[in-house]
Amino acid sequence: MSITRRVFVRNSALAVVGTTAVPSFLTRAAFGSVEAGARPKRLIVIFQRGAADGLNIVVPHGEPQYYAMRPSINIPRKAVIDLDGFFGLHPSMASFEPLFRERHLAVVHAAGSPDPTRSHFDAQDYMESGTPGVKATEDGWLNRSLHGIPDQRSTPFRALALSPSMPRILSGAGPAVALNNINDFTVGGRSPKLSPVATAFEAMYDHSTDSVLHSTGEETFDAVKMLKAANPAKYKPAAGADYPKGRFGDSLRQLAQLIKANLGVQVAFADIGGWDHHVNEGSTQGQIANVLREFSQALSAFWIDLGDLGEDTVVVTMSEFGRTARENGNRGTDHGHANVMFVLGGRVKGGHVYGRWPGLDQSQLYEGRDLAVTTDFRQVLGEAVSRHMGNHELGKVFPGFEGQEKFLKLLI
Amino acid sequence: MRIRQWTICSILLAAACFVPAVSAKKKQPPAPDDPRRAMHALDRLTFGPRPGDLQQVTAMGVDKWIDLQLHPEKINDKGVDERLAAFRTLRMSSHEIAENFPDQQIIRQVLEGRKNMPNDPARRAIYQVQIARLQARRERQQAANAALPEVASNNPSNSEAANQPAPSEDNANAPAASDNATPPAAADKAPPAAASNPNSDQNSANAASTPEDADARRREDRLYADLAVQGLLDLPADQRYKKVMAMSADDQVAFADAERGGKGLEFVEGMNPQQKETLLAMNNPGGVILGELTQAKVLRAIYSQRQLEEVMTDFWFNHFNVYANKDADRVLITSYEQDVIRPHALGKFEDLLVATAKSPAMLFYLDNWASVGPNSMAAQGIRFYPPRRRPWLNPPPARRPRRDEGLNENYGRELLELHTLGVDGGYSQRDVTEVAKVFTGWTIDRPFQGGGFQFDLRKHEPGPKFVLGHRIKANGEQEGMQVLHMLATSPHTAHFISLKLAERFVSDDPPPALVDRMAKTFLKKKGDIREVLLTLFHSPEFWAESSYRAKVKTPLEFVASAARASGAEIDNPIPLVRQLNNMGMPLYQAQPPTGYPMKADTWVNSSDLLDRMNFALALTGNKFHGITVDAAHLAGDNVSNPADILASLESKIFAGGGVSQQTHDSIMKQIAPADAPQKSPAQPAHPPDAATIEGLLLGSPEFQRR
Repeated sequence: MSITRRVFVRNSALAVVGTTAVPSFLTRAAFGSVEAGARPKRLIVIFQRGAADGLNIVVPHGEPQYYAMRPSINIPRKAVIDLDGFFGLHPSMASFEPLFRERHLAVVHAAGSPDPTRSHFDAQDYMESGTPGVKATEDGWLNRSLHGIPDQRSTPFRALALSPSMPRILSGAGPAVALNNINDFTVGGRSPKLSPVATAFEAMYDHSTDSVLHSTGEETFDAVKMLKAANPAKYKPAAGADYPKGRFGDSLRQLAQLIKANLGVQVAFADIGGWDHHVNEGSTQGQIANVLREFSQALSAFWIDLGDLGEDTVVVTMSEFGRTARENGNRGTDHGHANVMFVLGGRVKGGHVYGRWPGLDQSQLYEGRDLAVTTDFRQVLGEAVSRHMGNHELGKVFPGFEGQEKFLKLLI
Repeated sequence: MRIRQWTICSILLAAACFVPAVSAKKKQPPAPDDPRRAMHALDRLTFGPRPGDLQQVTAMGVDKWIDLQLHPEKINDKGVDERLAAFRTLRMSSHEIAENFPDQQIIRQVLEGRKNMPNDPARRAIYQVQIARLQARRERQQAANAALPEVASNNPSNSEAANQPAPSEDNANAPAASDNATPPAAADKAPPAAASNPNSDQNSANAASTPEDADARRREDRLYADLAVQGLLDLPADQRYKKVMAMSADDQVAFADAERGGKGLEFVEGMNPQQKETLLAMNNPGGVILGELTQAKVLRAIYSQRQLEEVMTDFWFNHFNVYANKDADRVLITSYEQDVIRPHALGKFEDLLVATAKSPAMLFYLDNWASVGPNSMAAQGIRFYPPRRRPWLNPPPARRPRRDEGLNENYGRELLELHTLGVDGGYSQRDVTEVAKVFTGWTIDRPFQGGGFQFDLRKHEPGPKFVLGHRIKANGEQEGMQVLHMLATSPHTAHFISLKLAERFVSDDPPPALVDRMAKTFLKKKGDIREVLLTLFHSPEFWAESSYRAKVKTPLEFVASAARASGAEIDNPIPLVRQLNNMGMPLYQAQPPTGYPMKADTWVNSSDLLDRMNFALALTGNKFHGITVDAAHLAGDNVSNPADILASLESKIFAGGGVSQQTHDSIMKQIAPADAPQKSPAQPAHPPDAATIEGLLLGSPEFQRR
């Protein structure tokens, strides 16, 4: 029940943050020497809330059954961006093609949760808690994933959610910051310097003997001052990083900004809704095309924006479950089972579609209607947590999951 | 009898305090006349003390005051009733709510001629807008379909099988299902229909054949509607309402669209409650229900005299949590709190448990209403049964059950794990399945129309069940009652409930000995919640020094206590409701069945702390529309020196003492900087006023605890 709290490394350059207006240590160069030995790793998790239709995202165009089951919403073979002769990307994801060709982007198809639920509510819960079928889990796996990793930087931005409240996946004993809008992350106004009331609050919490509030207060004001020094108002994304309009693009732009300001982000979470296409899903045009464009453009802009920091970054996308293999009577799809995940990063063995393809014949479908799960989502996440982040205590991150030997080996 | 025990107890307590023991000081309960004793009681049994509360409680005697709070029926609560009078949904049945604030299911029924259009003109206006919107949506979809290449007219037969809904898809196909896919806090940012409905205007417009045309048309409509609304704003409220009622159906749709983004609230100011509800419901019927419920909760927390009853209602609602945005729960939740939780908040646990088990809100939330026994008549496709026989004694021959009808374990599991025994309560997966079988047939008579509990024998699994080592003989609805009784009287339940109560009232990690004594009372007094609380409130652990300010406030506790401490006058609770959304505790919108955590680790984080500080400053600085705080008046109208203002506010807000020297000094430094004023020209010319000082106190570390 005790709250794990870290204290700023007082003798580091960070200690001067806020007491002076010198933001020089916020540049990467200043930290370069400190971290030359072990470059900090980052894991970014993206949730597509509402159950994305994986079969229309990475299309099995070599599968005749796909076209038979989706007469009006299929992606025609000539329209897909072919990846390997069997799978192809939805045409509105053109910005993903270079990432795949450059082998930064990997695809895992037929991935998902072993739990059979088709409720958004339960399935999201399970994917965020990391314990399918167990509802009593109080914390999220992304929070647990940091427990075993040494916290050298001790920054308030170590675990970050780009959302107004703490999502399930990041809630738990480890400290995490939820930040919806960089510009609102302050007390008593947006001026570059701390306002007088903020100074008073800072002094109160700094001197407080209340250990819990003292440390959170301290990390809060450190975060506020670090942000002010980083001067977010003046941020310009890297050339070519064109974020689409909307909340998801805003989230990723702000995330890139915080990572590039060297605030010590290790794990981060952002989500994008609008995938629940029961009616008129669309094909090469329409609802799914629009949301896929936003999704893929935001991620590729994020990748471009990160520049060489992408080398130490792994991005994993997931959605609570896939959708029915057949289209329904409303030219949409209903709740299904397996889905597609993307893994993007410098150390990713990209350019390949991972996972065993279960097939779409009637006898191959899960409960006669859905793509079957052949890769447990924790195999993918577990590999990122273990091989990328260096936390090998997977039994604590994903209790009850025995999949360590089943990594897809999609990371270098 | 109880009074005599109480007196003895008090004397013992007092005697204990007179024992001079310096080393044991930390463990010593405060003397009865210690103001901290009254402060502690107020901190724990209420949503925080208001100015003057401490004196009142001290004058009455802390023990007597606690006893009074345990008997809310003896407390006059007219004041809060008057403040709630405007919220008409609080006094409606679920059925009335469903009829007055129709969701898509009902609108579809009317559109398809399966239900009559209401005659009442106000209700009619609400229905008309929803029908027009549904029609427009359908037309856009048709246009989009027509635009799709190679539309296959033969696809319905082909896809029929795929469209057979699994049990959980019943929810998904309902219009509000997409809300389940939205995190709770985000749901508030915009009306749910506009925010997350996959069929929302924006999406469909994008899918339309000529999206540019449709967009332009809609923009133009909005513009004119906005202008019309602006023009109406100058009229008196009553005329404004009448103008809207007299509009053509098309204009009413445009008006409803123009209400989006919170503009409706401005438009309805000054109208009577029924007029307000009608106009707001034209845009978002479901929003009216949740809006009134959340505002009422905040007002009750702040103004009710029956504070312990409110605290316990909040506690039990959270314990038996239900999520307002899960489809039909939107219309069922008001009655759930009013008729299921509050009447039993200080009553018998078993009554409360049975009430929740039979409540449509819980049956829907945990899917039990859709649970069907695999060998039941419903699953076998048997429509009728011989009336004079007891068919559950003779299970029909086994046949392959229909795919979409089966057992749902959701309620069975949570009943054991969260409602009664606790996760370590000694039950197995087999028990979960058997309990789920016991409760098959416990369903709802038309949930989307606000119907009540119903036992449907056709869905009930026949034959005996085996729960926790007991054989439950086949007995229809009574099987469930037997299991609930078994659970309500289990020592595991007694312990689990006592532990949770101690976590709420004592500390995040309460002393096991106290929990054991509470559990004993629970069993001895047959689950009488009031008796368990008496044991708690009379325990040395409750009064121990280590318990004083041991709890970090939840966002609700913080917001309510800040409003109470500052003596805020709240004409409009909406800013407080929104504040809780921002702080990650949207009322009635905890998605998981666990409800909101009560312990510090969830609520102590950077963004939450910043939110608290900013809220404190905004509240005392009168930045919220419809909320007035008079900090200078609270400090004392004759007090003008900033140091005196600080001292006065400290004594009012932290009546029992408790502002640390550090906090005091930090604020003093802000008020009167140590360096000579002429040497620090950067210092603001005006010293901080009472409002800022009060804001600093409410945002201080000390005020985050209770």
